[in-house]
Amino acid sequence: MRLPRVEDIEKRIPRPEDFTARSRGPATTARVGTALGIAFGICFLTGLWSHFQYSSPGWLPIGPNPAWLYRVTQGTHVATGIASVPLLLVKLWSVYPRFFLRPPKARRDQLLDVLERASIGVLVAAAIFQLTSGLLNIVQWYPWEFSFRRTHEAVAWVAIGALLVHIAVKLPVIREGLGASVEDETPVHSDGPSRRAVLRGVTVASGLALVLTVGQTVPFLRKVSVFGVRDGGGPQDLPVNRTARAAGATRAASDPAFVLQLKAGGRSMSLTRDELAKLPQRTHRLPIACVEGWSRNAVWTGVAVQDLIALVGAPSGSTVIVRSMQTRGAFRTSELPGDFVDDPRTLLALELNGEPLSLDHGYPCRIIAPNRPGVLQTKWVRELEVRT
Amino acid sequence: MRLVRGLLLLTGLGFGLWGVWLMRDFTSEQLVSMGTFLAGGVLLHDAVIAPVTVLLGVVAARLLPGRTRSVAAIAFLVWATLTVAFVNVLSGQGGKPDNDTVLHRPYGLSWVVMTALIAAIAATVAYRRRRIAGPPRSR
Repeated sequence: MRLPRVEDIEKRIPRPEDFTARSRGPATTARVGTALGIAFGICFLTGLWSHFQYSSPGWLPIGPNPAWLYRVTQGTHVATGIASVPLLLVKLWSVYPRFFLRPPKARRDQLLDVLERASIGVLVAAAIFQLTSGLLNIVQWYPWEFSFRRTHEAVAWVAIGALLVHIAVKLPVIREGLGASVEDETPVHSDGPSRRAVLRGVTVASGLALVLTVGQTVPFLRKVSVFGVRDGGGPQDLPVNRTARAAGATRAASDPAFVLQLKAGGRSMSLTRDELAKLPQRTHRLPIACVEGWSRNAVWTGVAVQDLIALVGAPSGSTVIVRSMQTRGAFRTSELPGDFVDDPRTLLALELNGEPLSLDHGYPCRIIAPNRPGVLQTKWVRELEVRT
Repeated sequence: MRLVRGLLLLTGLGFGLWGVWLMRDFTSEQLVSMGTFLAGGVLLHDAVIAPVTVLLGVVAARLLPGRTRSVAAIAFLVWATLTVAFVNVLSGQGGKPDNDTVLHRPYGLSWVVMTALIAAIAATVAYRRRRIAGPPRSR
């Protein structure tokens, strides 16, 4: 008995011709790929937008209008990501035989082959990474050591970069594929599904993935979205992202001796919750829109932040630093830019949907402002300081 | 066309390098974790998901009568890709014990119902096609 030689092993590895499904090929790949490319483009742009909303750069001041903006961009980001999963899987299936292409004979072609494979390797790795990390993040499952926010952003640039390189390399094939008919040539090898059937199948799967989850941000689909992470319910009819216990705020927030500190330059003032409740109250309907892709409208009642800072003599368009009682978590302090303070809908809310805030929604008082990521709607507020 | 491709290539390289630049202050622990997920995803797809799918295709081609194969393949496409898309809520992981506004739906049950519905629709379609098409050609 002799040991198998390299050639013997090579013979056992399948070749692209061994895959007989007639529905594969550039006409299928180009169509699914175009849809996937558009989906990734939407995810990339809405993702960048979300980073801008977290910390608005000087050249792009993001204001409170329209109030629903972040709700729409971030809902779209997560929904598009979920709908991309069937597209990515079918796209990879359609080109899987090419994984077994043998390297070309000529030296120069070999180098190009290695470069192309490397770029596709980066693209596939980054694409799977983005969808996986996003899907896990929306269920608050973090089985990794990296920072989700920063890594999801960095790998997004790599993914879109590799995608652009891939389009550049494949452009002639893509054009030919999109030009080619979806109707099959005479089936030769197999009686599997037609191209048209595969394209319809992936459209249905992608649409179902969307409809069965998007109810967490589209109210009339709440009942239909049985695979949504949230169903829109919760205490006072609003979901909670971080409970008082998880934020380490329970003790301070339930202390009856609570007073809110107001500071502006040299002036300061303390107000009890009863005193806050005696100030002129405003009621507004505003959404909570979370980075995890769920959102929900609610009716908030409280004191306008601009009215509060007027008590310590600060002008309406001032920037306000908000400090929370929470002892855990990265967003214990937030900054309300002047544009938001200037908007009378920006409240220090005391009530939610007609009842005093529950502990998990930020009792004794919380910030609610139009068009802000949920995590910046600081709960359990203990101090407002006007930046001078 | 050459110009467009050249611009796409350069922009792509620029984007990719910017992405790598954004990782410049990641700790080695974070980089290793990120690398594991990047490589793990490719490995999971190329070495597990794709071969298993091919294998199932081969088995189905032997077991199923010719006319039902197409329907079975599309039903599998829809079922399998949806299962992967919902694996996060089906995993039983994530959420927080003190927060019942996250992940408190009966996802397993929904998945069983989804599976049954897809199977039932596929069976109905396959049955009706058989009747319309008459008996198979090969006898």
